[in-house]
Amino acid sequence: MSRFVKTEEDKLISRDRMRFVKNSACSNLCYLALLFDVFYFVLLYRQDVASYYYTVQIGASIVYNLVFMLIVFMCSENVKHYHKNYSYVVLAAGIMQIVRIFVIPTRAHNTVMVIKEVEQAVMDDWTYTKAVVYLVVSAAALIISAVLNYTRCTALEAHVKSLEKTNA
Amino acid sequence: MAELSLQHIDKIYDNNVQAVFDFNLDVKDGELIVLVGPSGCGKSTTLRMVAGLEDISNGKLFLDGKDITQTPAKDRDMAMVFQNYALYGHMTIYENMAFSLTLRKENPNVIHKKVMAAAEILGLTSQLNKKPAQLSGGQRQRVAMGRSIVRTPKVFLFDEPLSNLDAKLRGATRREILLLHKRLQATMLYVTHDQTEALTLADRIVCMSMGHVQQVGTPLELYDSPNNVFVASFIGLPPMNFYDVKVVGKELQGNGFKLALTDEEKATLNGYEGKEITLGVRPENFTEGSDIKVTVTNNENLGMNTLVYGNVGNTGVKVTAKLKGWKNFKVGDTAGFSVMRKHFFDKETTNAIRGDK
Repeated sequence: MSRFVKTEEDKLISRDRMRFVKNSACSNLCYLALLFDVFYFVLLYRQDVASYYYTVQIGASIVYNLVFMLIVFMCSENVKHYHKNYSYVVLAAGIMQIVRIFVIPTRAHNTVMVIKEVEQAVMDDWTYTKAVVYLVVSAAALIISAVLNYTRCTALEAHVKSLEKTNA
Repeated sequence: MAELSLQHIDKIYDNNVQAVFDFNLDVKDGELIVLVGPSGCGKSTTLRMVAGLEDISNGKLFLDGKDITQTPAKDRDMAMVFQNYALYGHMTIYENMAFSLTLRKENPNVIHKKVMAAAEILGLTSQLNKKPAQLSGGQRQRVAMGRSIVRTPKVFLFDEPLSNLDAKLRGATRREILLLHKRLQATMLYVTHDQTEALTLADRIVCMSMGHVQQVGTPLELYDSPNNVFVASFIGLPPMNFYDVKVVGKELQGNGFKLALTDEEKATLNGYEGKEITLGVRPENFTEGSDIKVTVTNNENLGMNTLVYGNVGNTGVKVTAKLKGWKNFKVGDTAGFSVMRKHFFDKETTNAIRGDK
């Protein structure tokens, strides 16, 4: 039988495994999201358009990145141990990554300035595409992690309850 | 099914020191063999050669008829349990037990089934999420055994697994190993220097000294019919008493005592008339009587038994007797003992004198 076709017994064993095996998949997805966030902010802060970026907006962006990394790291450790409530935090962080696309990259891409005596978009098409891809991948990783963790935690809770009932 | 055959195995180290000499043994499927002997006798070296951790200098090793002398350790399908557990401290008990199968990239569900089954056998189910540091020595050793069980190897190898445990835990874990063997019906090789472990666990014992096999047999055979003075002195606690005696007619004349021989014993000693032999008497084969007069030097009450230590008369020939019941001999008292069972050894060769001579 293919390893992708799961029987009822397989499903039961998979649920029982969760009692002893860490939720590494969800945790690793969080780390992946962190990695792509790093790609994003490195790309952004390398932009040589000081007059556009040197505003309170960039300060807020830096602070947000720090907070984001801290929270996502904390979440990665907690989802590893099947903490259901952290699914909501991870989901929120994922949604925020989508929102961020429209805060700096899209606005910079739509703004035209005279840079080095040439009128051009603050963020060119290629850089904009890369920034969007980084944020989308980061967001997707977080959302998948959140959904997966929620599903697994729910299944684990139900399994533990059924075990307790059997033992009682 | 796993039958192991060791044929003419030698171990010679690079510095030409020979640790094992011409070791021969056929282990039947499901048999528990205990290698026993004092430190440095070559028992652990032999086990490590079977495991593939040491090269075999000469001889052949067969597993189920297949020559595995040159097969690397990882391909021998044997699992070894070490004295110091060798557990990964940063992993949980579950992860420790699953580790070898994870390395083999087994299906996670299959791994889970095997780990849970092993944990059930060893009573570790409630400990699976703990780290080794949170367990007692006995539990850690059970984890080490569990790690072997999940691999379902052809042969289990135990290298003094109980040496790190205190006396009480050692007894309990020993019983668990015995139950495990009965349950798994697996072929096991077990190394120990503790003769109590050897006698209680083994289907057959291999007694070794200085790299040589002294005797292979069931625990009763080694206890009751030791091949030589070494085996007789090593097996049994307290050890056997040995006396130089002369065969004169129908009696044995020792230093300060004379013992009558039965017709059967006389027949056994046929050919030794007038010669000196070594007489062996187990402490538990002494009873209160009148054959040997002993000046008591110590009296130890063990509850059901009493150990009486003394000298034959004023000769300085030492006697250790294990008498049934609670005795109260005082130092300097004279106690009379009779001998219920005698063992005879050739004085030159130290080999047992059997009736067929």
